Amino acid sequence: MIRTDSTLAVQITSLNKWYGAFHVLKEVNLTIPSGSRVVICGPSGSGKSTLIRCLNGLEAYQQGTVTLGTVRLGDNARETALARRQTGMVFQNFNLFPHLTVLSNCTLALRRVLGMPRAEAESLARHFLEKVRIPEQADKYPAQLSGGQQQRVAIARALCMNPRLMLFDEPTSALDPEMVKEVLDVMTGLAQEGMTMICVTHEMGFAREVADQIVFMDQGSIVEQASPMTFFSTPTHPRAQSFLHTLLH
Amino acid sequence: MSILEIWLGILQGFRVTALVTLYGLVFAIPFGLVFGVAQYMTTGPARFVVTSVIEFWRSSAVIILLFVFYYALPLAGLALSAMTVSAMVLGLNIGGYASQAVRAGLQALDRGQKEAGQALGLSRSTILLRIELPQALVAMSPTFINQLIQLVKATSLVSLVTLSDMTFRAKEISQIEYDPVPIYSSLLLAYFIVCYPVALFGRWVERRINPVREARCAV
Repeated sequence: MIRTDSTLAVQITSLNKWYGAFHVLKEVNLTIPSGSRVVICGPSGSGKSTLIRCLNGLEAYQQGTVTLGTVRLGDNARETALARRQTGMVFQNFNLFPHLTVLSNCTLALRRVLGMPRAEAESLARHFLEKVRIPEQADKYPAQLSGGQQQRVAIARALCMNPRLMLFDEPTSALDPEMVKEVLDVMTGLAQEGMTMICVTHEMGFAREVADQIVFMDQGSIVEQASPMTFFSTPTHPRAQSFLHTLLH
Repeated sequence: MSILEIWLGILQGFRVTALVTLYGLVFAIPFGLVFGVAQYMTTGPARFVVTSVIEFWRSSAVIILLFVFYYALPLAGLALSAMTVSAMVLGLNIGGYASQAVRAGLQALDRGQKEAGQALGLSRSTILLRIELPQALVAMSPTFINQLIQLVKATSLVSLVTLSDMTFRAKEISQIEYDPVPIYSSLLLAYFIVCYPVALFGRWVERRINPVREARCAV
């Protein structure tokens, strides 16, 4: 069980990012209280993936601040590394290490970053593989698993590091439809335990059920931010209205 | 001179051929690894220096390097043995090629591999040693075997700096016997007999160290 007070709050202030001349994030402000679940959605190219990649330093930004808990990213390398260590990330394409077994995928950071002895790391990894309901796959290689199983391994791998904030970057977009549910179920379970979660996803059923805040982005800006109930019943921004219209009909 | 005698004569050079190959690897492997990784990791002036060293060894004619290092260095007061010069020149030349295979292998990896390591908090060196290099080296293993075979064949040049390898022995015999056809045909076959097992060994290694590819076949 994750204690709410052990999770991270996130504060994004006046964030601006350019790719060359292209202004990809425009004046983004977002407050994410500890233990809350935020779903970020919007058309492709709206900057949602870029935004969450800024939260663990995978993308650099030119202006603004990102604060995880009490640590401001980029203040110094050590603090950024610390903040990153408290953040788990799940990628669209899983990004499992294909040359390592499922178990080694999970234990690599435990052993190399935390210096945990092998036996302890393996038992912790098995605990999280059990949690994502694939303990029996521990000794296989990623290529031997289905997409849904691989993504659950990726979630277990991130959880092993005891993160206080989980970032999901379109975690089900690369999956066959019938595998989406097994991944969403794991994510829902995690949400129920009180983990701070930020998910970029188009799974509106998941958003409605799990999120307590929906953020809608368009062309690099947050154009609408509301509770799921408000967002799905009475979206105010025309771009959000047309997005929901195409998605739900 | 019977074919058997020709073969025994050529065989006397086998030890030198094998030694130049082995010592050549002592230069080639570290050079290829270190410079390939360095070219991948550096930018700006540092990368220019790394690239210049690689290009010197890769783009110079081996036969001329052999002559220069063997005959010219003593004039500068540095006399290296024929074996050292041969191993160094052949090794660093092949190492230059190998460095490009190492770099290409690293560059071809999905960017997500490095990012997943960063997201887990791994240091840059751990990402390189535990995630990137193992995959890059496995992917490039057929290229490395190619280069090993090229190294074996390139050792035939060392006869020019007085080492009595298989080619040197064949030339000697041919000068005595005035019968080049059976002698050089035997020499041709001798290199094939040395190189073909290396190719077979390469295929075996590929199967051994590539559980992922095997796994894909199994699914």
